[in-house]
Amino acid sequence: MSTPSSIAVRIGPVEFKNPVFIASGICGYAEEYSPVVNLSRLGGVVTKTITMQPRKGNLPPRIHELPHGMLNSIGLENVGLDRYVNEKLPQLNARPDVAVMVSVAAETEDEFIRLAEAFAARDGYAGLELNLSCPNVKGEALDQGRNPALVERISRIVKDRIPNKSLWIKVTPNITDVASVARAAEQGGADAIAAINTVIGIDFDLETGKTVFARGSAGYSGPAILPIALQKVWECAKAVTIPIVGIGGITSVDDVRKFFLAGATAVQVGTQLYADPGLPERIIDALAQNPQWVTQRALPQPVRTP
Amino acid sequence: MSAPEAYRFTPAHAHEHVTRVIKNVALSRRYYLLRLARPDGFIEPVAGQFVHVAVPDAGGDARFFLRRPFSIHDCTAEFLDLVIVEVGPGSQALRRARAGDAVRFYGPLGHAYPVLPEKRVLAVGGGVGLAPLYYYGFRAPATLGKGYRLLYGARSKEDLFLDHVPLEAGGVLLATDDGSHGFRGNVVQLAARELAREPADAIFSCGPTVMMKAAQRLADEHGIPHYASLENRMGCALGACRACVVPTTLEGPSPYRTVCHDGPVFDGAVLQWDELPVP
Repeated sequence: MSTPSSIAVRIGPVEFKNPVFIASGICGYAEEYSPVVNLSRLGGVVTKTITMQPRKGNLPPRIHELPHGMLNSIGLENVGLDRYVNEKLPQLNARPDVAVMVSVAAETEDEFIRLAEAFAARDGYAGLELNLSCPNVKGEALDQGRNPALVERISRIVKDRIPNKSLWIKVTPNITDVASVARAAEQGGADAIAAINTVIGIDFDLETGKTVFARGSAGYSGPAILPIALQKVWECAKAVTIPIVGIGGITSVDDVRKFFLAGATAVQVGTQLYADPGLPERIIDALAQNPQWVTQRALPQPVRTP
Repeated sequence: MSAPEAYRFTPAHAHEHVTRVIKNVALSRRYYLLRLARPDGFIEPVAGQFVHVAVPDAGGDARFFLRRPFSIHDCTAEFLDLVIVEVGPGSQALRRARAGDAVRFYGPLGHAYPVLPEKRVLAVGGGVGLAPLYYYGFRAPATLGKGYRLLYGARSKEDLFLDHVPLEAGGVLLATDDGSHGFRGNVVQLAARELAREPADAIFSCGPTVMMKAAQRLADEHGIPHYASLENRMGCALGACRACVVPTTLEGPSPYRTVCHDGPVFDGAVLQWDELPVP
């Protein structure tokens, strides 16, 4: 009999039962996946990104499979803040055994204030993951994640309003210096860096001579991005002392061990869940049997400098 | 005419199943029939529902993250039949599956055709779109010849797999584009002729988008409902990832609805036919 508590992880003010999560955008608002994943066994689920207003999403097609990964161009289709907090959050309240991190995105600092206040007034979730890095929408979302000063301000805006919840900042790999963004998030009071979002990619249809997606560029995920994600986690780990949640290309327990070696405190499984919904629970079983893996690092933990 | 209450998918049915291949045989140049042992706990499917199949590891570099949705062609206490057309690496890899190989899938999934045993239904199938219409007519509710007429079209005789599936013997009317077997012309032209001969209360369709779009026009001309089963690339098949959407005229935060969860069978009147993916 394993002792699940031995792999519990604390991220900010919240303790999660283990370090294995499902990434945002993969499993909707979580309940959809309950027939094939035992959600209560997970460290948690990061739900699909919510925005102030409902978004209808991008023109289909929206996914494109490639030999070593997958491009997506969903476009943050979601029900909007009001319906989320009135319809979806109450469902989560009824499942206290499932830890939910709610992914949110906003276009302006003012919208972040309103989002944070809406969540501050409610319960039923463990924290917020700010999606400052979606490649599939017009406007500022991706640019936010490239602007350290803005990342710091947004982190502070949100953290000040939800001090008892966990605040994760999801960073983009589509940037030269991810460390500066991670440091800015830490300065702003974030409890963790979630790294990485999808890698921008594009593909063409040789029959039509056009891009596969109406918007052209899309987000690349799957096993191909594992080394990129490990690199970004490694860079963040050298830059900050807050926990890092590693995301990108996990298809096995070994991949998860590499994220811990790179400096991650927790991980999120994404694209592979479509092929293998049993993967998160197998990872949890393996970590419970080998809890030393969770704290194994290739580098010593960095020391915070004043 | 209002649509009858249709069977609705509930997520509890979406179990992950592991089963074995019973046989995997060629039906024609591009089509094959994959017969799987019916796993314990696989609930009785309704025509139009599908299973989401993980492509077995093909070895080497071939890896598939996405499962493939296949409409249920037949289902008994012993087996589950899928008719598959080779369109890409995934369906090619599945074609290599041999008797005894393990296969994983979810299902049955999706919103099915309404079951209308008391109504006159004209079903129009093309290509791999035969599966749900065959299942409805021959197995559940098995009303072929009792108010359910099934018309099936293909490019040519070689694509009709007459040696393997008892279409003609069962009363299915066939059409080929080149006239090599049955009615010469497309299957919707045949449907128009059949409707002129005897009216129907509803049209079911499954096949290429252009065919289903023509079936919608035919239904509109006759003032009868049309239920179309759509196909799309899917991610999760559970209504979560929003990848397999199609545009509709329905209200809501988004005009898009998922083929996996809101469909695959839609009331054709709500679809934005000009915006659907082709084929």
